[in-house]
Amino acid sequence: MATVQDIKRRVRSVRNTSKITKAMELVAAAKLRRAEARIEAMRPYADRMLELMAGTARASSSVRGLPLLQRREPRRVAIVPFTGDRGLAGPFNSQILRRSFALERELRAEGAEVTWLVAGKKGRSTLAFRRYEVAGSWQGFSDQPAYADAQAIAHRLAELYTAEEVDRVVVVFNQYESPLVQRVIQRDVLPIAQDLLESGEEQRREDALRGDFIYEPEPEQILERLLPVYLETELYRALLESAASEQGARMTAMRNASKNAGELIDRLTLQMNRARQAEITQEILEVVAGADALGG
Amino acid sequence: MADERRKFDVSVVTPEGPAFEGEAELLIVPGQAGEIGVLARHAPLVATLKAGSTRVHVSRDDVREFATGPGFFQVQLDRAIALVDDAVAAQEIDRERAQRQLDEARSELERLEAGESDADRWQLEQRIRHAENQLGVAGGT
Repeated sequence: MATVQDIKRRVRSVRNTSKITKAMELVAAAKLRRAEARIEAMRPYADRMLELMAGTARASSSVRGLPLLQRREPRRVAIVPFTGDRGLAGPFNSQILRRSFALERELRAEGAEVTWLVAGKKGRSTLAFRRYEVAGSWQGFSDQPAYADAQAIAHRLAELYTAEEVDRVVVVFNQYESPLVQRVIQRDVLPIAQDLLESGEEQRREDALRGDFIYEPEPEQILERLLPVYLETELYRALLESAASEQGARMTAMRNASKNAGELIDRLTLQMNRARQAEITQEILEVVAGADALGG
Repeated sequence: MADERRKFDVSVVTPEGPAFEGEAELLIVPGQAGEIGVLARHAPLVATLKAGSTRVHVSRDDVREFATGPGFFQVQLDRAIALVDDAVAAQEIDRERAQRQLDEARSELERLEAGESDADRWQLEQRIRHAENQLGVAGGT
């Protein structure tokens, strides 16, 4: 049986671990709040961008020539999982990768080729472990992505799409629902959906009321510049959602770890008290037996 | 006052939040083909912007200047919106920091050209452009 000393040592080690998990939980909670605020802060930009894009498309005579809108037979598909840079976040990273590999199997069964690009260290190392070739990888920002990070990813994806090296781009990321719930989402980001550019009767009437905009340069040229920026904002939103999800998942995982540590400490303490009591009983027995021997 | 100019709504919005939101008398933005100045009751306009200096004249002696990245500009019904990928207020530009960022990005680009780095070329070029823009705006004030 373990001695009191052994158990004491284990309790101390578990207690130290629980201090770390507790601290990580608090840090994740603080980062989560920041990530939520940034999702909120980008909303006006994204909304106005969409409005502007729809309006410009209405004014354009033709949108057919734009490369990012071109729909092709998807023979080569790019899969882009957004993972975190660090682990200890429950199922956050593994569920993204599991979904990505499932998607890969599906696409290959349909006869498509798959190109991998990846954000986050965790995803990159998994792909490297499987000896997959990667057409682009970005890391070092998963806990607080900047707009410039989204721009770098968007630039690379648009480049591949325009060069016709891929015919479809799918991003797999965790959508943030609440600190406890993250949902894995796969979203086609390229080609850009045409229906974003279509608008209803009501908007057309509004346009007519407002009068014509002066476009400087031509609406087609403005639209050509708007489309990549739209892609950037979509990716930026996904990066922010993923960052919030990562912190939420880590917070939950660390809360569970702290709880488990607490239970373990309780159990060990009970064991330790039993062992101590056994020792005392043993000593008393020895003393009584000794006294009996002398007295006899 | 007789010479008080009519005000209109101005917003300078970035993906990281609004940089300016409020009323102003005059707004000057760096259009692709040259600076565009907008007063109240301007005709509806959509334009593209390049990186440069955006100036919001809140009143005659209150002018806010921003170093802004490329983006888009829309005027409608007494409301002007500049959508730019980044905006830093002129008085918040840290010349030393911008210079350091510029130097770092340039040396990283050299290392990339020598094949010693796997950084994203396009991203480095963006960082250089952004730092240069900030220095340009800070130099003008």
